Amino acid sequence: MTVTGDPAIVLLIWVLLAPLLALGAGVVRPRWAARGGVVGAAVAFLLAIRTVGGPASEIRLPWAPSWGIEATLRFDGLASLYALLATGIGLAVLIYASAYMPIHLHHEHKPERDGVRFWVLMTSFMAAMVWLAAAQDLLVLFVAWDVTAVASYFLIGFDSEKPAARRAALMALFVTGVSAIGILIGAVMLRTIYGSLEIGVLAERVQPSAWTTVALALIAIGALAKSAQVPFHFWLPRAMAAPTPVSSYLHSAAMVAAGVYLLARVYPLLAAAPDVREALVVIGFLSMMVGGLLALGADEFKRLLAYSTIAQYGYVVVMLGLGGKYGIAGSALYVLAHALGKCGLFLTAGAATEATGEKALSKVGGLGASQPVLAVASGLCAATLAAFPLTIGFFKDEVFFEAAHHQGRLVTALAVLAAASTFGYIARFWTGIFLGAPKQGAHALPRRLVLPILALGAIAVVGGVKVGPFAAIASAAGQASSPGLKPLTLAYHLEASPANLMAVAAWGLGIAVFLAARHGRAALDAFAALGKRFGPEHGYIRVLGGANRLSDVIHDFEVHDLRSRMAALLLPAGVLVALAVLATPNENAWSVGVMSMADLPLVLAMIAAAIVGLAATIPRDHLLIGLLLSGVGYSLTIVYALTGAPDVALVAVLVETLFSLLFIGMLAAMPPRLLDRAAGAVSTDIRRRRDVGIGVISGILGFVVCWGALSRPAAVESAAEEQIAMVKAAHAKDVVTAILADFRGLDTMGEITVIGIALIGLLALLRRRPAR
Amino acid sequence: MTTLVTRIVSRGLLAPAFMVAFAIMIKGYVDTGDGFAAGCIAALAVLLQYVAFGPDVVERTLPVRYAPGAVAMGLAISLVVTFWPVVIGRSILTHAPLPDQHAIHFGALELLTAMAFDVGVFLVVLGFSVSTIRLIAGLGQGRSSR
Repeated sequence: MTVTGDPAIVLLIWVLLAPLLALGAGVVRPRWAARGGVVGAAVAFLLAIRTVGGPASEIRLPWAPSWGIEATLRFDGLASLYALLATGIGLAVLIYASAYMPIHLHHEHKPERDGVRFWVLMTSFMAAMVWLAAAQDLLVLFVAWDVTAVASYFLIGFDSEKPAARRAALMALFVTGVSAIGILIGAVMLRTIYGSLEIGVLAERVQPSAWTTVALALIAIGALAKSAQVPFHFWLPRAMAAPTPVSSYLHSAAMVAAGVYLLARVYPLLAAAPDVREALVVIGFLSMMVGGLLALGADEFKRLLAYSTIAQYGYVVVMLGLGGKYGIAGSALYVLAHALGKCGLFLTAGAATEATGEKALSKVGGLGASQPVLAVASGLCAATLAAFPLTIGFFKDEVFFEAAHHQGRLVTALAVLAAASTFGYIARFWTGIFLGAPKQGAHALPRRLVLPILALGAIAVVGGVKVGPFAAIASAAGQASSPGLKPLTLAYHLEASPANLMAVAAWGLGIAVFLAARHGRAALDAFAALGKRFGPEHGYIRVLGGANRLSDVIHDFEVHDLRSRMAALLLPAGVLVALAVLATPNENAWSVGVMSMADLPLVLAMIAAAIVGLAATIPRDHLLIGLLLSGVGYSLTIVYALTGAPDVALVAVLVETLFSLLFIGMLAAMPPRLLDRAAGAVSTDIRRRRDVGIGVISGILGFVVCWGALSRPAAVESAAEEQIAMVKAAHAKDVVTAILADFRGLDTMGEITVIGIALIGLLALLRRRPAR
Repeated sequence: MTTLVTRIVSRGLLAPAFMVAFAIMIKGYVDTGDGFAAGCIAALAVLLQYVAFGPDVVERTLPVRYAPGAVAMGLAISLVVTFWPVVIGRSILTHAPLPDQHAIHFGALELLTAMAFDVGVFLVVLGFSVSTIRLIAGLGQGRSSR
């Protein structure tokens, strides 16, 4: 293990400890879990700040050295940016949640204890994001990626008693989890072609080819699904079933941001797949349009924001697709500015619902009069998303326009249109909540529900006035994606540059869009309804329903009766065996060896096993069948003992005894009526013939295979001899134990893990429940 | 239900059976048997108690309710033995002492980390078997009391 660089490794370890801190504090007193979580995030944030601009310190852990797989983590500019977002936005969200969650639990009539789970999961989520940010090889990246999916599953389904929350959690896991398998497949393909999983190494070796394009497309699809881009966008609006702090974190700094992070991380590889980059531009614009139209028509706050997130990550995807200085470093700046604004607006939505008890724009209004601080704080966040000057959001649109206007008229026009729609729905959100005549009473809010929003808004304004440090962070992130990229230099220029003209056009159009949306609700609603009826979500539901039905059919067939189930196992096994026999060259097979007198006991034991086995088919009494079957086992034990396998014989006799006794115990526990009925059941002639036929065929094929295998024993011996030779080096004298605990110890480890899992299943199934 | 002879014999066999199990496990690297076989022997001894005395007596006299805990502990021990080498920079399941190193002797016995691994296996097998026995005994009881 080589470790260089300080704050990075401390941060990586600290984020792993933060969930334990929250859990430990929560065990002592449920209320303290919040403090544990906030302290964990605060320390992590400070550490993340220290990684900015530092040397790109690298950590390498051997993973599977014989395959040359190492876990590589490095805090370059990109890692610092996303670690800053995960911990900084995380801190704001957690401070907010420390006031929000107690109220939420109270509303849901849940005990305080349930809150502990929230804090542990949120800090785990943060940890996964930090590790993801620092990942430099596709393996660590995939693992951290899946951890974020698991954490988000539990967080979206936090109110697990609500069906909508459960469905949303499953949908998020399904869409992002299944697409993540594409990332794994892509990673394995790249490794197979170029011999490495490390992105830096791959970037040097990667060549344009069809397979490379497929691999990178699979990775890009995983990223787009995570970032809720069309056509995978439908999971995101559902995910708002989560408590507000979760939504806020998910949309601004964690889950959804992870998708565009992945694109930025593998950006050096995308150079070899121009098709994928072009597809990114198209999908990004599509997402902007779909998300924008849906956001303009949405009524619920959180739904509006969810649609807006789809659209705004569309910007980022487009910028990454376009590339260049403004595309790459610009996308980093965009993510940063968007995180500040979007997080603030989500928290605003939660605060507004808390103050009024309402969730939809049509039910609230005029909150500005009673909540002036909230209105200002949220106004700053909204201003940054709508790209007002003097907020960092202005620059996020400027870099977008700079990247777009070189790409021809169509892209330029689409960019302006997208920015205008953003202006429109953000204006809808803010004016809808804070302006107009009050439609409802509002009560005061705890300070911790407002201050984090104010802080986020203030940072956005600081970024708008003094953009240098923010541009530096974004430039560093861009250089991680594309080495040698020139840094962004941003300032206000009062001139008729294309970007400025586009910004002015966007505002003008934005106002028009905002006004049009007020009067065009019917059209927007029709668009949403159309999406619901024919959109990808519909397809998802149909696929899921179909898979469910198929599983039910197979399950019903399988558990219908035991004989069918055995037949379902034996028949395919028999067919496969027959094919194998036909395919195997059979010279020297089927030879009948010589039998000496010394083999007589062995042969007798085997004949005994066969006779007892045959006898077991005759009786109808379950106890007798059980005893006869154990008789088969004991006879085979003698065979093992005689063929010089004492270890196997010992275990076989013990297991046979244990199982026979437990079997008898199970019979004793069953209702006698049921056993009598089963013993007396008469099977039809056809079924009996079928069962006998299947039994005979599979038996004969088994016999043939055994014969064929035993006719030429030489080939299989080599592995055994090799292992016998190693026994001495393992300080052992008994080869079987040495194999079990050392040479193939990992197999044993897997097996005992299975035993443990089986026990959990048994406990769940058989533990006596209190009588009803 | 059961005769006096069964009871006396089964009671008398408990401790020796555990002794045999222990011996088989410890000697696993030298002689026939390993943690798995040892776990089965010990479980059979416990099962014999259930047959002879019934679940209620066994629940009172033997610490069988910790059986699932034994599985967890066994898994933990084996996991530590499996993954500890990774922490000190070797590959998974590298047992100490290494092939060319000298093992510490305890009498005629060589102490190896592979033995600790086997202890984990023993605990998993014993815990699993005893838990299953308990569950099945519980089923039977539920029926007879109804």
